[in-house]
Amino acid sequence: MHIIENGNVAAALGVKLCRANVIAAYPITPQTPLTEKLSEYVESGEMKAEYIPVESEHSALAVCIAASSAGARSFTATSANGLLYMHEQVQWAAGARLPIVMCVVNRAVGAPWNVWNDQQDSISQRDTGWIQMYCSDHQQIIDSVIKAYWLAEKVSVPIMVCYDGYILSHTYMPFDVPDQEQVDAFLPPFKPDYALNTEEPANLNTVTLPDVRMDVKGELAHGYMEIRYLLHEEMRKTLTVALEAEKRFAEIFGRGGDPYIEPYLCDDADYIAVGLGSLTYQLRVCVDALRKEGLKVGIMGVRFYRPFPDVAIANALKGKKGVIVFEKALSYGYEGALVSDLKSALYEHLAGTGDLPMVQNFIAGIGGRDIRTEDLTQTLRAATKSRVAKEPVWIGLKL
Amino acid sequence: MCWLFCPEIVISRTIPPAINLEYCKGCGICAEECPTKAITMMDEAGFSDEDKNKE
Amino acid sequence: MQAKTTILSLPKEEFVHPGTRACTGCGLAIAYRVGLKALGKDTILVVPPSCLTVLQGLFPIASTKLPCLNVTFASTAAAATGILATLKTQGKDKIKVAAWAGDGGTSDIGLQALSGAAERGENFIYLCYDNEGYMNTGVQRSGTTPIGAITANTPFKGKLQQKKDVPAIMAAHNLSYVAACSAAYPLDLFDKIRKCVDMPGTKYIHIHIPCPPGWGYDPRYGIKIGRLAVETGYYDLYEIVNGEFKLTAASEKLLEKRKLVPVREYFRAQSRFKILTDAQISDIQNQIDAKWASYYKKNE
Repeated sequence: MHIIENGNVAAALGVKLCRANVIAAYPITPQTPLTEKLSEYVESGEMKAEYIPVESEHSALAVCIAASSAGARSFTATSANGLLYMHEQVQWAAGARLPIVMCVVNRAVGAPWNVWNDQQDSISQRDTGWIQMYCSDHQQIIDSVIKAYWLAEKVSVPIMVCYDGYILSHTYMPFDVPDQEQVDAFLPPFKPDYALNTEEPANLNTVTLPDVRMDVKGELAHGYMEIRYLLHEEMRKTLTVALEAEKRFAEIFGRGGDPYIEPYLCDDADYIAVGLGSLTYQLRVCVDALRKEGLKVGIMGVRFYRPFPDVAIANALKGKKGVIVFEKALSYGYEGALVSDLKSALYEHLAGTGDLPMVQNFIAGIGGRDIRTEDLTQTLRAATKSRVAKEPVWIGLKL
Repeated sequence: MCWLFCPEIVISRTIPPAINLEYCKGCGICAEECPTKAITMMDEAGFSDEDKNKE
Repeated sequence: MQAKTTILSLPKEEFVHPGTRACTGCGLAIAYRVGLKALGKDTILVVPPSCLTVLQGLFPIASTKLPCLNVTFASTAAAATGILATLKTQGKDKIKVAAWAGDGGTSDIGLQALSGAAERGENFIYLCYDNEGYMNTGVQRSGTTPIGAITANTPFKGKLQQKKDVPAIMAAHNLSYVAACSAAYPLDLFDKIRKCVDMPGTKYIHIHIPCPPGWGYDPRYGIKIGRLAVETGYYDLYEIVNGEFKLTAASEKLLEKRKLVPVREYFRAQSRFKILTDAQISDIQNQIDAKWASYYKKNE
């Protein structure tokens, strides 16, 4: 069914269709309407779930962690400082291998206070062991939530579905809402290997030692290092499982493609602009204009940020003359996070082959600073002529 | 009393009580709380046999 | 009115294995063991970092026989909320959820989540075992450390602030049941848990826990010292049922006896109070006397 709604509603619809049954909610701009919508579904009876208005984001994820440990399909959403406040729990959920799905409606982090969009919040959680998916439009939001539950429960790794605050959360777009039957066919009920219960008691997440230790049966159990290694290993395997998810999704819903990257006019391009989220769609306007000038430019939208699809990215950028990475976040003290990961992937797979493109980094839209399409086009044009700078260049800065 | 107050749950609920010395940590609460002073704590070092209970 | 449990009527089934990692003479071990007897088999436990985490042992071996979720320090009550929500979706209304947190994890870092859960009326028992400090990490002061106590981070002057009255804070949430208990009076603890377990909303039970290394006494005197705290009128055993306050067990007996053991005996039995001056002890004695004067008056 095609409707016109905002990005937060798209996400809420996805959660409803996935039959999440424990929802923790705490307000923070610009995520708030998402969980408000879920409260409407729950209170009207449209959705059968326990809705818990917690007293903080740290508690929101605590509720999800406990609920998931006991066998529920749980959900919460947050932004910026809310995500930062729950950081301890973010790490915990990954280490505990719980298939929680959380929407992060990207917003700038304090200090100082800022409610508008950039991606520093989710990017700062890059190393925690969560899978990260980035959405460029409302269709991708609702589809990603559905795919995320299937994927998370398959690999037992929590997933952040990220989309730009205001730019996507509050704007209206047409998109298709799948039928409940289709989603039920795609996503079976949650059946964990173990859920807390009184018949077979277990003590979850207790203290582990640096080394391995014998259990009561005389067998060596995993130590902390093994447990953590398995999280990493499963995340790398997720790159393969994500292909399976995409295929299944396409079979049932009739749409899908590459789960890792979204290419636009890349085949014959000499220069590729790279971005995460809605920025990649804004770049299409620039690329269309530059193509008219005869410049062969394309766009690679990155959809999976973690696990990092290094092979897919290296293959897509192999032999290109230049790669221009636009980011709404950075690793302070060095450069953009995406560009670092990307350069590392290129080096790993293409060093010494002669196919290594030149990479440039541009930081834009920090704190919701307006990203003017004209500025993007100019930057892109200049970047195809020569290397603008070795350091990241901040577009739209008004020092 | 000793059965009730033992933090390690190593004392049986019998008369006389039996104490599992494998897990007893030697805190002495049982000896202190016994209304008939039937238990005496002894240093493990200066000891060879296992019977710590005196009627 | 249900009959008081005696040693003979206490259920025999144990829910903790011997060989825990608790200190010798640990007061928590006593309270926990009896508490679990009161809760029974159909209980899921929630435990934040604390002495109890250590008592339960190291992966892959656990000393508790009940299912238990270890959680982050601040999130105990929120985690209990999450489990309750799941049990509701599964139709498992008979399974109880019991949170066991230390005083640090309750009165300091865990207070926000506890208050939130209580306000939402989450249906679980929250038991705070109060050994009056962050004992697991080496005896640092917490919100419930009493005034004058020497701790690892109040090494010379002792704690300068009063003990935080957590039961009073919880009572302000209009809970159906708030109680103060002690490891030295395990049968009273047992009865209180059994009494409140089916009451609506969040039930809060505060348990005074003597701690040999933290308080500075020979482990064998743990129960004696726990009793002294009550017999001096310093720490009271009570329950607040739907807002109505009532002293219980040994504290209730003191109402008739009208004679309190001088609190100096309690302080002088523990090396953590060695810097308390006679003047300070005298002050505290006056406060205790005033408190009990008002108890006597209300009881008339």
